[in-house]
Amino acid sequence: MTRQMFISESALKSLAEELVKAGTRLVGPARERNGDLVYREASDLGEIELGGDPPTRSLKEFFLPPTEVLLTYRQKQGDVEVTPAPHVFAPLVVIGARPCDAAAVAAVDKVMDWDYHDELWFGRRLATTIVSVACGGGDASCFCTAVGLAPDSAKGSDVLLVPVEGGFHAEILTEKGEALVKAHAARFTEGGKAEAAKAYRDAARGKVQANLSADPAKIRAFLEAGFDHPIWKGIALRCHGCGACAFVCPTCHCFDIVDEPDSIERGTRRRNWDTCQAAKFTLHGSGHNPRNEQNCRIRQRMMHKFAIYPARFGEILCTGCGRCIRVCPGGMDLLETLDKLGRLPAGAPAEAKRGAP
Amino acid sequence: MQELRELAKKLLAEGAVKVVVGYAEGRQGVRPIFAATPEDADKLIFDPRCVQNLATYLSPRRAHVAALGKLAVVVKGCDAMAAAGMIREAQRKRDDFVLIGVRCGGVLADPRASAAVTEATVAARCPGCEVREPKIVDHLLGPLPPAPPGASALDARIAELDAMTPEERFAFWTSELAKCVRCNACREICPMCFCVRCVCDKSQPQWIESSPHARGNLAWHMTRALHQAGRCVGCGECERACPVGIPLSLLNRKVARVVAERFDYVVSDDPEKPAPIGTYRLEDDQEFIR
Ligand code: SF4
Ligand code: SF4
Ligand code: SF4
Ligand code: SF4
Ligand code: SF4
Repeated sequence: MTRQMFISESALKSLAEELVKAGTRLVGPARERNGDLVYREASDLGEIELGGDPPTRSLKEFFLPPTEVLLTYRQKQGDVEVTPAPHVFAPLVVIGARPCDAAAVAAVDKVMDWDYHDELWFGRRLATTIVSVACGGGDASCFCTAVGLAPDSAKGSDVLLVPVEGGFHAEILTEKGEALVKAHAARFTEGGKAEAAKAYRDAARGKVQANLSADPAKIRAFLEAGFDHPIWKGIALRCHGCGACAFVCPTCHCFDIVDEPDSIERGTRRRNWDTCQAAKFTLHGSGHNPRNEQNCRIRQRMMHKFAIYPARFGEILCTGCGRCIRVCPGGMDLLETLDKLGRLPAGAPAEAKRGAP
Repeated sequence: MQELRELAKKLLAEGAVKVVVGYAEGRQGVRPIFAATPEDADKLIFDPRCVQNLATYLSPRRAHVAALGKLAVVVKGCDAMAAAGMIREAQRKRDDFVLIGVRCGGVLADPRASAAVTEATVAARCPGCEVREPKIVDHLLGPLPPAPPGASALDARIAELDAMTPEERFAFWTSELAKCVRCNACREICPMCFCVRCVCDKSQPQWIESSPHARGNLAWHMTRALHQAGRCVGCGECERACPVGIPLSLLNRKVARVVAERFDYVVSDDPEKPAPIGTYRLEDDQEFIR
């Protein structure tokens, strides 16, 4: 059973001050110069926006940065010396995470600890405490409730705050959450305001539910049987294969590993974000590309998120945050696609079995 | 609107084209539609929310679109310039596609906006536009609306940058480019980035580092800006596609100005006029090799 507490707005501000004073990195949704709302390091809770628009980029870059050094190397006449990068995992507290973004890191944990335990991912995960704030139900691109989450879901959060009069009803969910509360015990009062929080939670859920009510099980059944379905033939006509959707996605986690020489003798190995929406993602050295057009690449994205990942890890690799919809320059709309797929009967019509799209 | 729909239906019925690429209402704002039937053709619209540069779909890199067969594309002046650019650079032949031109009074910055075109809402590329009645097209529809209002916000911003010291300007671009995550969205959406194999994708040797660090990002954006010199049609699609909001239009418009001054060349929808990047003229200023 989670512990219920209350924290006032001013106490949360003091808590943030104490964290910064103690040298902990404080991260939350804050404005950039051009007006974009992004998760970034802040020196004060005043910079952080605890409600309003969803941040344009997700929380994943704090665990899987767009680029990071894995090692440096030196080589001379056949001798190679490899130095692992000196990674330091400094304590970090996120305040104001969207529940969908917190849920995303928990989903990606599965693949990062599958055939290989990703030390960099988990180094940062362990050093981070996530305090989410239930959102008011997002905008017309949000569909978290259709993928088993909600604007007030607790998945992936260490503490969940729900706005109530004068402050927040707080649910302490994990040991990391308990540790945070213990270190700042004077800021919290026992008991919470579950009653007062209920109206907010119900309204927010209702708002998102109105956007999409597709059934993920039906979508998965369609995908598992419908690899050759004619719908894939034209699904991506608008799509430019630009990958912006994957780069802003909180759960997309594919990366590329490159060696970048600094000279003939020395260089750096880095890993960088990559995406299955890029034409060269599956391009073979021979010149053959098994996903030779964008229709196949979109199918791959749908399959991975709504069939393959659920089959392997028991989780949908999508949290309904809607960023791919907001960002897409071609007007692709995942919410609309899911609605469509959810209505199709599982299995491909016989005459379509012949050619792949 | 009816004129556009009737024309589209006629072209489809006659078999002149397989698909008409145009604009339609989406769940949130206007987006491209690929109309292959009379029912789809009835969804076609054109209004100031029709921001997208549809000529991009003519790019030889779009295999899934090419597979549909011959296209007719609805083009504004800026889109027509891109189609002309592809012909000029021998990527497509004029007879490969049909262009349905629309007379244009400027578009909004955002296809999801619902506002009228005013000085505050107009896309930065539109004020001062000289191709509102594209000439290269097969059909030209609609009355000519009033010119887009105001002056371009880009010109004002470029003037500010020009007034900076080189150090200040470098600091500005360094901080903007630091945001780049190297998704390549700016490249993929661009009608003039049609190379099947981009120099940035070459890895043996690796000319341009693919990592989004300061060195890689600078190399990438310098390369792209120079490859767009005398070619960019100024449609602003790269900036609209950028998920981190880098003001790429400033870079491209600045380069376009340098090309205009140095080579007396302005991108137009005339595919016959040779572009400076592929031509040599004795009278070109060559002080850089002296
Ligand atoms: S769906 Fe949209 S954002 Fe994603 S690759 Fe296609 S055009 Fe780009
Ligand atoms: S997806 Fe759900 S949790 Fe995320 S911003 Fe939208 S409504 Fe809020
Ligand atoms: S640049 Fe010219 S043709 Fe293009 S949208 Fe603006 S006014 Fe229309
Ligand atoms: S560089 Fe940008 S503005 Fe120029 S043609 Fe390409 S997408 Fe349009
Ligand atoms: S679209 Fe933006 S983030 Fe992506 S590569 Fe281009 S400039 Fe960088």
